[in-house]
Amino acid sequence: MTPELRKNPPAPLAPIAFDIAQPSQDVLENGLRVVVFENERLPLVNFRLAFFAGDIHDPAEHHGLTSAMATQLTEGTQAYTSLQLAEKVERLGASISAHASYDFTTVSASSLSLYASEMIDLLAEVVLRPTFPEEELDLYRRNTVESLKFQRSQPPFLAAEQAARHIYGTHPYARVSPTAAEIEKLTREDLVRHHRRTLIPNNAILIVVGDIKRDELLSQLNDKLEGWEQGSLPSNEFDTPPTRYGRTLTIVDRAGSAQSNIVIANAGIKRLDPDFFPVLVMNQVLGAGASSRVFMNIREDKGYTYGAYTRVDSKRLAGDFEATAEVRNEVTGASLKEFFYELERIRNERATDEEIADAKSFLTGVFPIRAETQEGLTNLLVNQQLYDLPEDYLQQYRANVNAVTAEQIQEAAQKHVQPDNAAIVIVGDAGEITEQVKDYADTVEVFDTEGRQKPER
Amino acid sequence: MPHSFSLPPLDIVEHTLANGLRVVLNHDGAAPVVSVAVYYNVGSRNEREDRTGFAHLFEHMMFQGSENVPKAGHFQFIMKAGGTMNGTTSSERTNYYETLPADQLPLALWLESDRMRSLAVTQENLDNQRDAVKEEKRLRYDNQPYGQIFDLINEMIYKNFANSHSTIGSMDHLDAASVEDCQEFFRIYYAPNNAVIVLSGSFDADEALKLVETYFGDIPSQPLPPELDVTEPTEVASTYREWQDPLAPFPAFLIGWKIPPRRTPEFYALYLAGKILYEGDSCRLYQKLVKGDESVIQLFGFTDERRGPSSIFVGAIPKPGEDLSKIRETIMNEIHDLATHGPSPAEMEKIENQFVNDSVRQRQSSMARAQAIAEYALYDGDPKLINTELERILAVTADDIRMAVAHYLNTENRALLDVVPAGQG
Repeated sequence: MTPELRKNPPAPLAPIAFDIAQPSQDVLENGLRVVVFENERLPLVNFRLAFFAGDIHDPAEHHGLTSAMATQLTEGTQAYTSLQLAEKVERLGASISAHASYDFTTVSASSLSLYASEMIDLLAEVVLRPTFPEEELDLYRRNTVESLKFQRSQPPFLAAEQAARHIYGTHPYARVSPTAAEIEKLTREDLVRHHRRTLIPNNAILIVVGDIKRDELLSQLNDKLEGWEQGSLPSNEFDTPPTRYGRTLTIVDRAGSAQSNIVIANAGIKRLDPDFFPVLVMNQVLGAGASSRVFMNIREDKGYTYGAYTRVDSKRLAGDFEATAEVRNEVTGASLKEFFYELERIRNERATDEEIADAKSFLTGVFPIRAETQEGLTNLLVNQQLYDLPEDYLQQYRANVNAVTAEQIQEAAQKHVQPDNAAIVIVGDAGEITEQVKDYADTVEVFDTEGRQKPER
Repeated sequence: MPHSFSLPPLDIVEHTLANGLRVVLNHDGAAPVVSVAVYYNVGSRNEREDRTGFAHLFEHMMFQGSENVPKAGHFQFIMKAGGTMNGTTSSERTNYYETLPADQLPLALWLESDRMRSLAVTQENLDNQRDAVKEEKRLRYDNQPYGQIFDLINEMIYKNFANSHSTIGSMDHLDAASVEDCQEFFRIYYAPNNAVIVLSGSFDADEALKLVETYFGDIPSQPLPPELDVTEPTEVASTYREWQDPLAPFPAFLIGWKIPPRRTPEFYALYLAGKILYEGDSCRLYQKLVKGDESVIQLFGFTDERRGPSSIFVGAIPKPGEDLSKIRETIMNEIHDLATHGPSPAEMEKIENQFVNDSVRQRQSSMARAQAIAEYALYDGDPKLINTELERILAVTADDIRMAVAHYLNTENRALLDVVPAGQG
C-alpha cells in the first residue's frame, strides 16, 4: 500500500443488515408473563425471572429485607439444603443465583440446553419453596455485617453513599446499603412473610433466551409452577427526591488516601423520561467514553487521572447524573476546575456536528456487539421488559439515537446537567485536599469513613 | 453427558505473510460483527532489570498516535465507527483488540498496521503516558486494600527475575526511561514477525486475507528478540512474609505454589483441582470455611497461567478475631485429603460439566474466540488447538488430579504472605 493511500481512514465494506427478531410473549393463568427468544446457535439457555419488587420496596422498619430474602432463596428449599442445591446446580455445570437491586428482584439461571428441564425444576424450587433456614440466615447476618465494615475501606462505596444521600434525600434510592443494626434484627419470619408477599407471579416476567422451544417450555412451566398464586401488587408511593439549590461539597476524610475519588452529581432522569435519547447522546459527547470530552481533557490532555467519565443512571422512578474520576491528591482542585469547565461548556455551546455524528455512530454501532452473546441479548430483552419500554424498542433503538438533534442535546444538557446545583463528593485525605477544593461550593461538610459528620474546625 | 458432548469445530484458516506476521482467520457469521486481536510476543518477562514496567508503558504508548493516526485517534476512530477496544499487558504478552461492525474491518486493519509500522515514540507522549501509568498504579495497586499482595507473592514464588517482577513495574525505572530506550523496545518487540493477528466474525476469508496483506504486508521484519530464559528451580521452598497494608481493614493471607507450565497435564490437573477447592458454592473450601467454620469473609483462588513455570493461589480474608493459622490448617487438610483420596465421582462430573459449559459460552463472542485463538497461535504456534484442547482437559482423570495435588500442593514448598492492617484508623 502506498504512503498516500495510508493517509486517510479507509471506507467501510458493504454493510451487513442486523435485526433482532421479536420474541414470543405469553401470559400464564397465574399472571406470569413469559418472553421467549428461541436461538439455536449454540446448545445453551439463559433464564431470567424478574419481580417488580426491589430494595426500595423494603418495609420502612426492615431495610435490607428484600436483598436478604433474595440471597437466601438459594440457601435451602423444601427439597434441598443449601449445600445440596449448590452441588446439584454445579454438577450440571450450571448456575443459579438471585439478587435484589433498587427496583427488581431477579433470579438468574443458565446452563447447557440439555439440562434446561432440570433448571426449570430448580428455578421453581428456589422461587416457590425456599425454607429460609435459621442457621443460614444467621450466617448471612454475620457475614453481611462484616461486609458492611469492609465496604467502608472502599472509596467508591463511600462516595456513592454520600452522593445518593444528597440526590435522593428521603426517597429510598438514597440508601446504598442497609446498616449493621438493620441486618442484625432481620428474622426468619420477616423473610417468610416478605417472600409470600413479593414473589408473586402477577408481578413478574420470565425471560428465556436460547436453544429451547417455546411450546415445550410453556407446558413445562404450567406443570412445574402449579399452585403459585397471585397476590396484591406492592405500592410505588415514595417521597420525591429533593430539589437542590446551590452547590455543596462533602469530603469523606480517608487519611492516607493516595488518591481523591471525585463524584459530581445532580438529579437526572428516570428510564421512561422522554429526554432519554437526547440525554444518552449528550452524555456520549460529554463523558461516557474514552473519546468523550471529559476523558480527552482530564486524562489525555492534563494527565490527572487514569480515567474520567460522566454517567447517567436512570432507574424506574428517578435517576442521577454523575461525573467521576480518581485523581492524585495534588490535582484534586485542578480536576474540579476542568470538570466544571466541561459541564458548563456542554450547556452553553452546541456540540459540533462531528461530535454528534461520532456519538451516534458509536451508540448505534455497539448495539449489535451487545447482542452477540446470549447473555447480552438477554440483558437487552430484560431491560426492554422491566422498564416498560415499547415493544419495538430494540428494533427502533438505532433510529431513535439517529433522530436526536443538536438542539435537543443542548436542551438536555441545560435541563439535566446542573453544575450550579451539584453535589460534589470527594473521598480523600482532607488534610491534603481541603484547601484546594473548598472554594468550589457554597457549603462544605466533612464526614469520616464511618459515615459520621465531623464537627467543624 | 459431557463425555459424549461434541462441539462443531471452529473454522480456522492460517497464513503467514512474507514479513513473518502470522494471520489467523476464524469466520463465524452469527452476528454482523468482527473482532481483531493483535498479540505481540512481549510481556513483563522480557523486561530488563533496570527497565521494569516497560511492556505495560508501551501498551499506553500504542494509543498515542502514529504516522497517520493522531494522538488518541485510535480510541476515536474505533468509537466513532461503533466499536469497542482495549489493550492489556501480562507477563506473557501485550494484546490489542477491537470489535467493530463487520463492514469496518478495513478501519481496524488500518489502525493496527499504522501503529505497528510507525508508532509516534516522542518525548511528549512518553511524559504524558508515564503520568497516566503512575495514576493507574495509584488507583489499582497503592490505593486499594490488598492491592499489592499478588505482586508481593510473585516475588516470593519465583526466583528468576523474568518471572518474579510485577507488570506495573518500578516508577523509578519509568522515570529513567529515555525516548531512545522506548524506540529500541518498539523496534525489537513490535515487529510483524513477533506478532499474531486474529480475525474472528463476519467476513469473506479471501477478501479479509487480501486486506491484511495490503495493510501489513510491507511492514519490515526485524531480527528476532533476544532469547529468554524463564526457567526456575522447581521448588518454592517455604517462604514467609508479613506485609503491613495501610488500607486493609482486616488481616488476610495468601498462599502460593509454583506449578508446571500451561498446557502440561500437571497444569490442567491442578487447574481442575483449583475448581474443586475454591470455585463455586459447593467447592470444598467454601463449604468448610465460609459455611462450616464460618471463619472467613472472603475466599478466593486462581491459577496464573504462563508459558514457563506457573502458579496457583488460595487466599482468605478471615473474620476479625479468627485464628489465621487454624484456617490455613483447614486448607492444608483439604489439600491433603485431595492428595490422598482424589476427587469424588461427583466432583469429577461437576468440573467436566462446568468446563464444557464455560467453553461453549466462550464461543459466543467473537472477541473471546479471537483472544483464545491468538494465545494458542502465539504461545503454541497452533491456533487449531482451540478445537482439540477441550478433549485433553476432559481426559484428565481423578487419579491425575490426586497425583498432581500430592506432588505440587501437599508440600511445605509454598509461599505464605500475611497481610497485617496498618492503618491509622
